[in-house]
Amino acid sequence: MLRYFKRQMMEKGVIFWASLLLIIGVLMLFSASKGVLVKESIFLKQCLWIIIATIAGAFIKKIDYRDFQRIAPPLYFIIIFLLVAVLFSWSSGGASRWIRLGVFNLQPSEFAKLITVITLAAYLAEKDIRRFPVLLVSLIIIGIPFLLVLKQPNLGTAFIFIVVFFAIIYQAGATKGQMISLFLIGIFSSPFMWFIMKPYQRERILTFINPMRDPLGKGYNLIQSIITIGSGGFFGKGFLRGTQTKLAFLPEYHTDFIFCAFAEEFGFIGVVVLLGIYFMFFKSIAEVIYYTRERFAKLLATGILVIFIAHVVINTGMTMGLFPVVGIPLPFISYGGSSLMVSLISVVLVANIKENTIMF
Amino acid sequence: MWYEKVEVKMEGEKRLFINLTKVFFAVIILRCFYLQIIRYPYYRNLSYRNCIRTIDTGIPRGIIYDRNMRPLAQDAPALHLVFVPYDLENPDKEAEILSEIISMDRQEILRKFKKRYANPFDRVYIKRQLTKEEVSLIEENMPSLPGVFVQEGLIRNYILGRDTCHLLGYTGEISEEQLKLLKEKGYKPGDFIGQDGVEKIYDDYLRGIPGGIQVEVDALGHQRKVMGKKDSSPGNNIVLTVDQTIQEIVSEELGDRRGCIAVMDPRNGQILAMVSRPGFDANNIKEYLDREGHPFLNRAIKGMYSPGSVFKIITEITALETGAIEEYDRVECTGEIQVADRVFHCWKEEGHGWVDINLALPYSCNIFFGTIGMKVGVSKMLEFASMFGLGSPTGIDLPGEKQGYLPDKREIDPLNLSIGQGPILTTPLQLLSLISTVANGGNIWKPYIVKEIISPDGQKIKEFSPELKKFVYVSEETMDILKRGLKNVVMFGTASRARIDKIEIAGKTGTVQRAAEELGLGTHGFFVCYAPADSPKIAMVVFLDSASSSEAAGIAGKALKRILIPELNDSTGTETEELENVEIF
Repeated sequence: MLRYFKRQMMEKGVIFWASLLLIIGVLMLFSASKGVLVKESIFLKQCLWIIIATIAGAFIKKIDYRDFQRIAPPLYFIIIFLLVAVLFSWSSGGASRWIRLGVFNLQPSEFAKLITVITLAAYLAEKDIRRFPVLLVSLIIIGIPFLLVLKQPNLGTAFIFIVVFFAIIYQAGATKGQMISLFLIGIFSSPFMWFIMKPYQRERILTFINPMRDPLGKGYNLIQSIITIGSGGFFGKGFLRGTQTKLAFLPEYHTDFIFCAFAEEFGFIGVVVLLGIYFMFFKSIAEVIYYTRERFAKLLATGILVIFIAHVVINTGMTMGLFPVVGIPLPFISYGGSSLMVSLISVVLVANIKENTIMF
Repeated sequence: MWYEKVEVKMEGEKRLFINLTKVFFAVIILRCFYLQIIRYPYYRNLSYRNCIRTIDTGIPRGIIYDRNMRPLAQDAPALHLVFVPYDLENPDKEAEILSEIISMDRQEILRKFKKRYANPFDRVYIKRQLTKEEVSLIEENMPSLPGVFVQEGLIRNYILGRDTCHLLGYTGEISEEQLKLLKEKGYKPGDFIGQDGVEKIYDDYLRGIPGGIQVEVDALGHQRKVMGKKDSSPGNNIVLTVDQTIQEIVSEELGDRRGCIAVMDPRNGQILAMVSRPGFDANNIKEYLDREGHPFLNRAIKGMYSPGSVFKIITEITALETGAIEEYDRVECTGEIQVADRVFHCWKEEGHGWVDINLALPYSCNIFFGTIGMKVGVSKMLEFASMFGLGSPTGIDLPGEKQGYLPDKREIDPLNLSIGQGPILTTPLQLLSLISTVANGGNIWKPYIVKEIISPDGQKIKEFSPELKKFVYVSEETMDILKRGLKNVVMFGTASRARIDKIEIAGKTGTVQRAAEELGLGTHGFFVCYAPADSPKIAMVVFLDSASSSEAAGIAGKALKRILIPELNDSTGTETEELENVEIF
């Protein structure tokens, strides 16, 4: 019986797990929209985004994923252009992460993650990473969007670029020597970066590492976030019954801090189940990586998998003080159209790879 | 299934990512176990009592100095009345008690109390800058005012008060629209930001870093434990080109008349003083919001008026430069002139008789200028006007400068244009720039008001140097004739009230007929001038709403006398001493 159940769960694909997560996300946003800060329109807007993203997903499902290998370069240049455009669209002196399109705002850095992964996978699918020039080109492919995102500044996304880069070159067969030397270069060049930074930039990094330096801003969020999670207890306060989040202690409880709202309402049990679902979702992608014979598919799926893992780990970790607080959404659950769109397209790509693998 | 009968297993290295995930998830679940199970009672308690509060300690702004480092605006400590929405017990009763103490409308307090706040635990300001009596009364009533507190904070102190209100502007609570724009830069509701003048334009530099503490409070709202603290740090200091002494002199001379005075150094465009009346009290904005006479309007840069006879400077330059007339060409003024079916009057009914340009300018003869205006034509005059910067903003670093209006050549006839009447509009600052350009022989300097920005520890962050916008070429002969004429305006012409001993002043009056003159609205009076006439060091524009131009000239004369001949100043010796340090003299 238990084995049958286990097998049933194993056989579910990425789309099943993703849909489950999406449903949890919609429920959480519904709960959030009952609070004082977030209006119902947020919930309706997200539903609209889900419909748009599903249509986009159905459309992409019809495209053979191998075609992406060919259209990767133009996609790459478009996204670089958008990232540059965002840097120059100064709104009242402060940097912005969004491109405004009427009612909806587009966040190119979300799309940049997936497109960079596609580009890198397409390039390394035909090249031998162990050759130095290939490694150099790979570094450039990831380096340009990395620096542009860092300039925004979006430290969280920049960090994800680094993680994904290492994962892909590892999967592509980079030697241990290459990986270790790259790692060391990164470590040793960071103090140099520190000296060319301006004091306010250093302050930002220090607050990033230790939010309690800024008890009125990020530190305040962190204290409230930890209280919120802790007050959930074992069983949670119950759906729609969260008090911390409803009273808006946390200004971002529908976006980056939505995990708190979840942990408050569903408690420790809820967190274990949620992480379990994420784990099954990751596993279903990992299987695709293992079974596909194609190099491009393998690298692409690896990149997608690592993006998801990094998002979930960093997002949940930051809400409980294990990671610096950065603006990284919880895939499928946080409010935000760009993130949702990219997550669904990623899932569709993985499903495509899986379908095409039958042919072998 | 696509991998039917194949046992799911991933060997060694291929499982790396999944295994890493297992490790991370284990850590996260352990952390949740600690927070949600072991520490549950503590956090549940914190959550029930909602006892975390943040207390702002204010955002210190930088000091604004005059050119000799005398402070014009600086922060001073003050006590503010605040409340925590969540901690209020009986809003209606508390509002009633407060309304009696702080003389504020009960309904207004109630509205603040009952508004929905994004964070009901943040302090909200009820009234800033309490008096001593108010503080002691509130403290007496403390037991019946749960959730209301007196909080230490800052208030902006303007040393010259109303005399610098338009120049420096004021600070005020951030509006909702401003907040939307500035949220990303870390601005919060209730923050004070510069709302006009220098305070607004240089807000980014002046604004310091906010400080505050985060505390855990007990059931009565008393502070129990400081959970985090952040010190505030002051913003940068700003050094203006303005001279406090000159600013005070022109303010006094303008008195309570409606109008404005602006003073500039014609050699570099530095604004030495700027005052506009009526003014307002920067620490008490509310009272002036619906006062008559537009107290918030800085007439020097935002008021637009026809230049009147001041425009004759342009007419004269145009006529001489295009060769339409020679220096000694004469025109007979009989007091009126008939053009087509219209009769055009000179301001002097009996006429000036035969005049050439050397007499026409001092006497401001309309018939002479009207005649030569018709000779050169509208488009030439407009061309010269725009060359001298009329109709375009001067580019001064103050918010809201108007650009005036130069009409299209079909909109205006040469008679009206030549004497500055009709649909041509200029700001007093543009006329100041015009007379400065004449004074220095053709350089159009961009007027500016901020000289330096200095960090709190004394380092120069930014230095502004004079910026030459344009050089207008006017032949030496024309300039000689014009400057002689301008001197004679003061010597024996329309501005003889500006004449003072020892120092020669050159200038031009302008009387502006207002369209609604029949309704009893008087004329506007303009006087632009520079001194000393032979080596100009100071240029000035005086504009008076509903007064004559000779009155304006009189004010300019008195002010210039006090500025240029400090020994005559009746005030104390210290001021004289300070004035010697003014680098421009």
